[in-house]
Amino acid sequence: MLRTEEMILNVGPQHPSTHGVLRLVVKIDGEVIQEAEPVIGYLHRGTEKLAEDLTYTQIIPYTDRMDYLSAMTNNYAICHATEKLMGIEIPERAEFLRVIVMELNRVASHLVWLGTALLDIGAMSPFLYCFRDREKILDLFNELCGARITYNYMRVGGVKWDAPIGWLDKIKNFVEYMREKMKEYHGLIMGNEIFLQRTKGIGIVSHETALSYGLSGANLRCTGVKWDLRKHQPYSIYDRFKFEVPVGTRGDLYDKYVCRMQEINEALQIVDQAVEQFPEGGAIMAKVPRVLRVPEGEVYVGIESPRGELGCHIVSKGKDKPWRLKFRRPSFYNLQILPTMLKGQNIANLVAILGGIDIVLGEVDG
Amino acid sequence: MDIWVILGPVIMLFLVLGFVTYAILFERKVIGWIQNRVGPTQVGPWGLLQTVADVLKLLIKEDIIPRKADVGLFKLAPVLAFIPAFAVIAVIPFTESIKFADIAVGLLYYMSISSITIIGVLLGGWASNNKYSLLGGMRSAAQMVSYEIPLVLSVVGVIMSAGSLNLTEIVHAQQTGAWFIFPQFLGFIVFLIASIAELNRTPFDLPEAESELVAGYHTEYTGFRFAFFMLTEYTYIFGMASLITILYLGGWDAPFGLTFIPPLIWFILKFSLFVFFLFWLRATMPRIRGDQLMEFAWKGLLPLAIFNIFLTAILKEVSFLSHYF
Amino acid sequence: MFGLLKGLGITLKNMAKPKVTYKYPHEPLKMPDRFRGIQHFDPEKCIVCNQCARICPTDCISLTGKKHPDPGKKGKIIDTYDINFEICILCDLCTEVCPTEAIIMTNNFELATYSRDQLFKNIDWLHENDQNIRQDNVSMKPKPGGSKA
Repeated sequence: MLRTEEMILNVGPQHPSTHGVLRLVVKIDGEVIQEAEPVIGYLHRGTEKLAEDLTYTQIIPYTDRMDYLSAMTNNYAICHATEKLMGIEIPERAEFLRVIVMELNRVASHLVWLGTALLDIGAMSPFLYCFRDREKILDLFNELCGARITYNYMRVGGVKWDAPIGWLDKIKNFVEYMREKMKEYHGLIMGNEIFLQRTKGIGIVSHETALSYGLSGANLRCTGVKWDLRKHQPYSIYDRFKFEVPVGTRGDLYDKYVCRMQEINEALQIVDQAVEQFPEGGAIMAKVPRVLRVPEGEVYVGIESPRGELGCHIVSKGKDKPWRLKFRRPSFYNLQILPTMLKGQNIANLVAILGGIDIVLGEVDG
Repeated sequence: MDIWVILGPVIMLFLVLGFVTYAILFERKVIGWIQNRVGPTQVGPWGLLQTVADVLKLLIKEDIIPRKADVGLFKLAPVLAFIPAFAVIAVIPFTESIKFADIAVGLLYYMSISSITIIGVLLGGWASNNKYSLLGGMRSAAQMVSYEIPLVLSVVGVIMSAGSLNLTEIVHAQQTGAWFIFPQFLGFIVFLIASIAELNRTPFDLPEAESELVAGYHTEYTGFRFAFFMLTEYTYIFGMASLITILYLGGWDAPFGLTFIPPLIWFILKFSLFVFFLFWLRATMPRIRGDQLMEFAWKGLLPLAIFNIFLTAILKEVSFLSHYF
Repeated sequence: MFGLLKGLGITLKNMAKPKVTYKYPHEPLKMPDRFRGIQHFDPEKCIVCNQCARICPTDCISLTGKKHPDPGKKGKIIDTYDINFEICILCDLCTEVCPTEAIIMTNNFELATYSRDQLFKNIDWLHENDQNIRQDNVSMKPKPGGSKA
């Protein structure tokens, strides 16, 4: 009898496709994974603890650095939670600006996911095409708020900048451009037999498992659970727009792909409507005191970030700094299912599944 | 002794080195253009010296051998990989007159010598004492052994039609009849796919799957030893592109009677077409998975190749078609 | 099979499309006006109110003031003003709170140096950094007539 030994393979923290500094300790038999354990914390900055010593305005730039692919949604989470606790009404114009930038940021974030997930399974060019198109969104943001990744755009009570002249037209053009490009992505990927072979039936998660692991976002929706906070717990002005919540049926990688691609389309549709209904004139900041003293109490808000439910829980003792701040970081929760999904898969599927979950290590480690 | 016996291979070696240098540059340029980039532009005019600079960097790099590596095998592996890659070029005729060894079993020689490289790759993967290297070496051995079979079987049709294993004879057979890409289309497809797999290129680049195995079997190699593995890979592109030109695209034969263009130019044109196709494919395709790769070779390509042999044998007996077969 | 061919067609089509990359180090990259680059500091305008140092999330600004040399005038004038660009995150909050626009953003962003010490910029350096200064500084006020143009 031939004796075979299991091998411990250390994937990461320096590895081309762990999307940052995730480390996976994988026990393999040949190329088949017996056990996988994610090791996290290489990018831990202690945002939540640091926030206890920062005023509410000062926390906003720190949230930029959590989920650095969709900093706008993070900005929104902390601002929205603070506003809710203080009872501030946001001017309409500011709400529209917020929705436009959040949805554009969702498109940008999904484009990064698409590019890197395809790079993981070996396709080079889609990665650069995605970044080419994401670049256009970043340029728009750069023009709006002066930064490409770490926007620090929203403030408690509104937004920092009004749209520059001609910016909304550029958004309109971009939406047209992006819709055209979506066809290109579909042509490049959807019919590709190798891609279908690599994704169909891989990494299947049932919706019971997904719910019990607390998955959210596209990871949950691909299993067939129709749950989108923008639709089912509307915040901001999302109830004014028409959009669909795409769901999958099987919960495999292919469904994740289809869900996210459709989410890009839906996000573009929301942007389109928001630009159409954009109010003439009006303030972009509500009247807020110069020093933000948040009344004593607690608040939890959950918003739909590109990765899932991004929650922000503030406990205030009436000071200008939060007593305790807690973020429900969707990447962190979504990552927890990885060991279950990886069992029995082979190495090639490891990177495909990890890419499919779409984690941002800045958010996982917090 | 004829001076050319010594000088010829030396010139060929430099030609191959020149090809490798510019194939790498061309690959980066083509992939750059496809991805709306410009590719290397900084070293030399139009980036022409980029690869030269890269190779120079590799040459002056520190030679690192992992402490727990099997030093002897570690050093032997790149050499073992490269020698067959260069040796196979001996039988390739570039035109009627430019050729080195005109042996009767040229095709068989190519197929058999080229499979020695697998040992070098496997040894490199094993001797590095690195888990990624080991996995890469394992994958490449499995892949190259599996694809060798459809590769050889697919050219049986060509051999039957030409009635010879000599590569010059095969070109002659195409000059009188049609290029084998037309009558042997099925064989050509099988050969094309199997040759890409033999070359370890996308979508069959599992042995060095960057996103999974870091760099596969040459993860631990640096400097000149790494350069040898790269050299092997690109020399095989040279060999395989020449072979596919000869077997299926009529070698130096001029199509449509355009004989005023010299045969060597025709050869280079057809050769470049295949090389471009490889780069183009690399820019487009995702990577296939290991088990699917095996399934494809044994359940897809192998039956097709065997079917092609039968088809050729039957069509050879059909009177009005036998001229082409 | 046709999917693969379609993909090949798309990549081939892209080959002829114009390149989207910038020739960055050779040609300077033009940033939009609102771009948050390295700060410019004007000592004349500073009233030593300390707001920028207080709002800074990373505590990278340190400043000291001294008495006005003209005994007839009240208030302080700035003495030293340092920004540590090792930890500055260019979040724009200091320029947002400055009541006199003494500290404003510029469009310059090239901060790379060979030593960490050089990232410690003092009052003179920040004052001399006076190229490409941001024009649009009053951010919170709505633009008249809206900008839906």
